[in-house]
Amino acid sequence: MKAIVLGFFLVACAAIVQAQTSAQQPGARTGPGGATGAKIPTPGEFPPYKGPRTADGKPDLNGIWQAFVTADIDIQDHDAQAGPHPDIMGAYGAWPGGQGIVEGGEIPYKPEALAQKKANAEKRMVVNITSDDRRHDTGDPELKCYRPGIPRANYMPLPFQIIQSTDNVMVAYEFAHALRTIYMKVDKETPQDPPADSWMGWSHGHWEGDTLVVDSSGFAPWTWFDRAGDYHSDALHVVERYTLASPYHIMYEATIEDPNVFTRPWKVSFPLYRRMEKNIQLVDFDCVEYVEKMLYGPYYKNSSK
Amino acid sequence: MVNRFWVSSKVLTVVITMAAILCVPAIVSAQTRSAAPAKADKNAAANTTNKAWVLPHTPDGQPDLQGYWTSLSFTPMERPAKYGNREFLTEEEAAQIHKEGIQHSYEFTFNDLPETPVYDATVYALSAWQEGVAPNRRTSLVVDPPDGKIPALTPEAAKARDAARKHGPNQDYADPNAPVKADVAEDLNLGERCISFGGPPILPGAYNSNFKIVQGPGYVMVEYEWNNEIRIIPLDGRPALSQSIHRWHGDSRGHWEGNTLIVETSNFRPAATFQGANAKTLKMTEYFTRTDQNTIEYKFTVDDPSTWTRPWTAIVPLSHMEGPIPEYDCTENNNDAVNILAGARVAEKAAAEKAKNISQKQ
Repeated sequence: MKAIVLGFFLVACAAIVQAQTSAQQPGARTGPGGATGAKIPTPGEFPPYKGPRTADGKPDLNGIWQAFVTADIDIQDHDAQAGPHPDIMGAYGAWPGGQGIVEGGEIPYKPEALAQKKANAEKRMVVNITSDDRRHDTGDPELKCYRPGIPRANYMPLPFQIIQSTDNVMVAYEFAHALRTIYMKVDKETPQDPPADSWMGWSHGHWEGDTLVVDSSGFAPWTWFDRAGDYHSDALHVVERYTLASPYHIMYEATIEDPNVFTRPWKVSFPLYRRMEKNIQLVDFDCVEYVEKMLYGPYYKNSSK
Repeated sequence: MVNRFWVSSKVLTVVITMAAILCVPAIVSAQTRSAAPAKADKNAAANTTNKAWVLPHTPDGQPDLQGYWTSLSFTPMERPAKYGNREFLTEEEAAQIHKEGIQHSYEFTFNDLPETPVYDATVYALSAWQEGVAPNRRTSLVVDPPDGKIPALTPEAAKARDAARKHGPNQDYADPNAPVKADVAEDLNLGERCISFGGPPILPGAYNSNFKIVQGPGYVMVEYEWNNEIRIIPLDGRPALSQSIHRWHGDSRGHWEGNTLIVETSNFRPAATFQGANAKTLKMTEYFTRTDQNTIEYKFTVDDPSTWTRPWTAIVPLSHMEGPIPEYDCTENNNDAVNILAGARVAEKAAAEKAKNISQKQ
């Protein structure tokens, strides 16, 4: 039985290593009697779960979801730090520390790419907006209210909504009203190959058992993975797996491949939590109006620049 | 502020032209769908001969509105005087207007009739003809009042609109010879700022008037091609949002009555209401009814006693089109904002130089 349980985790759980070790530890916590429903949950472990189905018989991922990791700051392990302008921002602007979401901890950068990541981090708040692509040379796209790309959109600290039909899985993000379409069939309108590069990528999905597997490419080269300058090129290829792990959780993992930047594919994983507030809905976080002065200030009348 | 996309086709011309030139290079190729005139004939035929059509339903039993739709129309918003009280054209008249519309595609329906093209979209590498739009026998999109005209504004609304025209963002666009006021980004309109391209209601625009509808359990989602703006419409009867929360496209609640999806929208941002209506008093109701494989009859009623002297209603047919809807990266490559602001600085500098030269000569 344990083997079956472990097997499930190998397939469904992103926290594979943690699940194996903690499940085998004699100290794994169980409630009195160990009966179903009485077990005290162990982080990283989900009991076997078969989720609800949509009317067309597919796993039902509809809902409003949110990650609760600090990966938007840094997808790797990191300490808390003062944010920009602590003299006026104080704790409002400080960034929490947290454990990373990269499996194994390390991102396999090519040496020259690692140097670029560090340069990105140093210039994450250097914003120089021109009327051409040089506008993307420096500055974190999040700072500029640009679409976050994939996988970053999934661990921004704002919710997103999945609306699932037979042919489309729509993912609507509250951040900058970024929208992503996962096409569930390949046809003339939505061919396998991306018709053009885009910030949120060109995605096709299919079901592998109870898991939604999403294959995305056709990315613009300008999105980052976090504020720490982790980045990719237009050769980015992301394969994501969404698996319902309980009525309230999706286990998410993404395999990231980009031969221009990394020496091998690598993986991030974390749970998504269902937002359960009564009548929960997305509202607007269209941040353009909050960044205009930063972006276009040098072109304003009486600008000091 | 006044909805700039409504007030003047010249405003729209400027905005759209600049958007076409400056803003969206990455997706233009995706938008340039080749358009077979044969397609129009096929659609026209389907609309008249498709007698055996059966309304499809989603797996969870909703009437199925899903797919790609265009609201592009060659029918003017308000009825031209020459039609008097005539509500419908003859088949021949409708076919003629449709033909002219295709030939002069991208002219604007609001103030300009098909025989008065505003500009030639092919100059901007856009297809001369957007697929999908079907002939419409109505003489105007406005169907109520019966004269096909938008009712008169209340005196207060007329005064407010006049003030907005004079002092609102880009007020000078109304006069093409006046300098553009662009001291700061807030002087630009919401579309130029990539904040909102308006709606509801769904209206025909010059181009990109394209939509995708997806239905999930308990929700209908409408995606607009412009800026990929979305409306997620819950169908579960939940109460409206608190009046403390405002949204660029308002906040919508939907329900089915027979085969018609009825959507009521409130909680508008005061800066982004339809035609500058009063966000506090505006009631916007939309009706989506699929009438055949290629058509949704889309009707909206606006009721705002502080803006119009009576409620009014328009019908905009939504015609099936080929997908997909491309990503519309707007703020990510908003060259409009840079160029308009930088251009205004250049103009100021030139004006200052000129003034200096004149004073030196004197």
